[in-house]
Amino acid sequence: MSQVTDTRTAISVQDVSVAFDGTEVLRSLSLSLEQGGRLGILGPAAGGKSVLLKLLVGLVAPDAGRVHILGTDISRGKEKTLMRVRRDVGMLFQNYALFDFMTVGENVAFPLARLGETEDDEIADRVSARLKAVGLAGSEAKMPSELSGGMKKRVGIARATIARPALLLYDEPTAGLDPVTTSKMYELIAADQADTGCTVVAVSSDVGALMNFSTELALVHEGSVRYRGPSHAISKSEDALVRQFVSGDDAGPL
Amino acid sequence: MSVHTRIEGLGARAIAASHAGARLFVIGAKSLRGVFDRDYPKGEVARQMYVVGNKSLLFIAITMGFLGMVMVIQSGHQLNRVTGDLSQLGPQFLKLFIQEFAPTITALMLSTRVGAGIAAEVGSMKVTEQIDALRLSGITPTSYLIAPRLLACLSMGSILTVIAIVIAFTAGGISAWSVFGLNPTAFFDSSMVRTYDIVIGSVKALSYSLAIPIISGFCGLEARGGSEGVGTATTSAVIGSSFAVLLLDFMISGIGLMVFGGGV
Repeated sequence: MSQVTDTRTAISVQDVSVAFDGTEVLRSLSLSLEQGGRLGILGPAAGGKSVLLKLLVGLVAPDAGRVHILGTDISRGKEKTLMRVRRDVGMLFQNYALFDFMTVGENVAFPLARLGETEDDEIADRVSARLKAVGLAGSEAKMPSELSGGMKKRVGIARATIARPALLLYDEPTAGLDPVTTSKMYELIAADQADTGCTVVAVSSDVGALMNFSTELALVHEGSVRYRGPSHAISKSEDALVRQFVSGDDAGPL
Repeated sequence: MSVHTRIEGLGARAIAASHAGARLFVIGAKSLRGVFDRDYPKGEVARQMYVVGNKSLLFIAITMGFLGMVMVIQSGHQLNRVTGDLSQLGPQFLKLFIQEFAPTITALMLSTRVGAGIAAEVGSMKVTEQIDALRLSGITPTSYLIAPRLLACLSMGSILTVIAIVIAFTAGGISAWSVFGLNPTAFFDSSMVRTYDIVIGSVKALSYSLAIPIISGFCGLEARGGSEGVGTATTSAVIGSSFAVLLLDFMISGIGLMVFGGGV
């Protein structure tokens, strides 16, 4: 699929607000990321992180502001525009979102098969390779209901990456995984990125793992960005809330 | 609570209802378009036809069989009391079943069995983000999920209605013979059935078969939260579909009477 060949902005979110049933989830939020970047999004639970991720693929429409993805304005939510942009985006959902009426193999093959640009034999080979990469070799015939939460997560990663999209979004990629598997997953995501040059955005509550993985971090709290900068500098932030979240201290504004 | 607050509350509900109506209309239109786009898995329509038709057959056969017997026995007793002439029992029963009872009762049963199933299936996909995953893969959920169910309901709804008529009429004939000693040749008489009855019955069956999957799919797509949200969607689907069936019944019967004078 699309390989990133230049350094244009991959993500540009400008003054975006989103509300559900009168409750504001994102408040005049602005964020940008260059193509090929690796951004980690941190923040307390229910702070708007997952909504922000869905906003980036048009699964949530902004009430105000602009969202540009891979150079295309998706703010107006036009179906044709969204369809075009989504061809270049892969996403791991928080709840895995595996199709429960398909086998593991069919789930992983789905994005590639939908594009209709790859022969069946090649799809099968790539599915096997992806499953092997996530440590689930030979699981093609299994149904999602036969898998543990961690295995589902890994199948979700295989599905999100199989079409080699230009932008990859991971919503809690390592939640429920043990520390060793967590490291392996981040290594896999990093290796994929090195291979394709794609842009990666990962949302997680696992501060340590995300700090190690990301080159840049954003901390979202109550719908606003409280920190945006290099990963190594977040613990020295002037914002007490950011420092408390990263250190995990009891005392502080959170 | 002040009058002002109550009026505000009513207004908010009316606005929410009109928005929901608009969304239902859009989903209905997209589902119909999805029938022609054919962007659903191979064999999905056949699978859904099996779910809607074969799996509902026993449920509908038993219900319509008992309904046919009860209606004939009750009507027979009334006729015996008033005129003592049972010669019109079978012909009138058949006319009524073709025009009214078979399509409507069949649809009400499909609302509970099939409507609830569609809402639960789509609703659980919605709350587990499978619908989002479909959209991310460039799929319109209405085309992929609702359109094949719509086609299945359209085809199997009509077939089930015909089967319902045959079963109810046969069961009614057997009870008329066993309870009142009515000659089967007198009961199984279709002379009272007019083209109008068949047209109205068919229009009803088709309209109900359109309404049930669209309303149920809409309820599923509107599901929020977890399993509680799926439960609410399922209940709403059954209530909404059943209400739509009765409303359509009233409207189609009324239009038939006004335009064709009841086909008399």
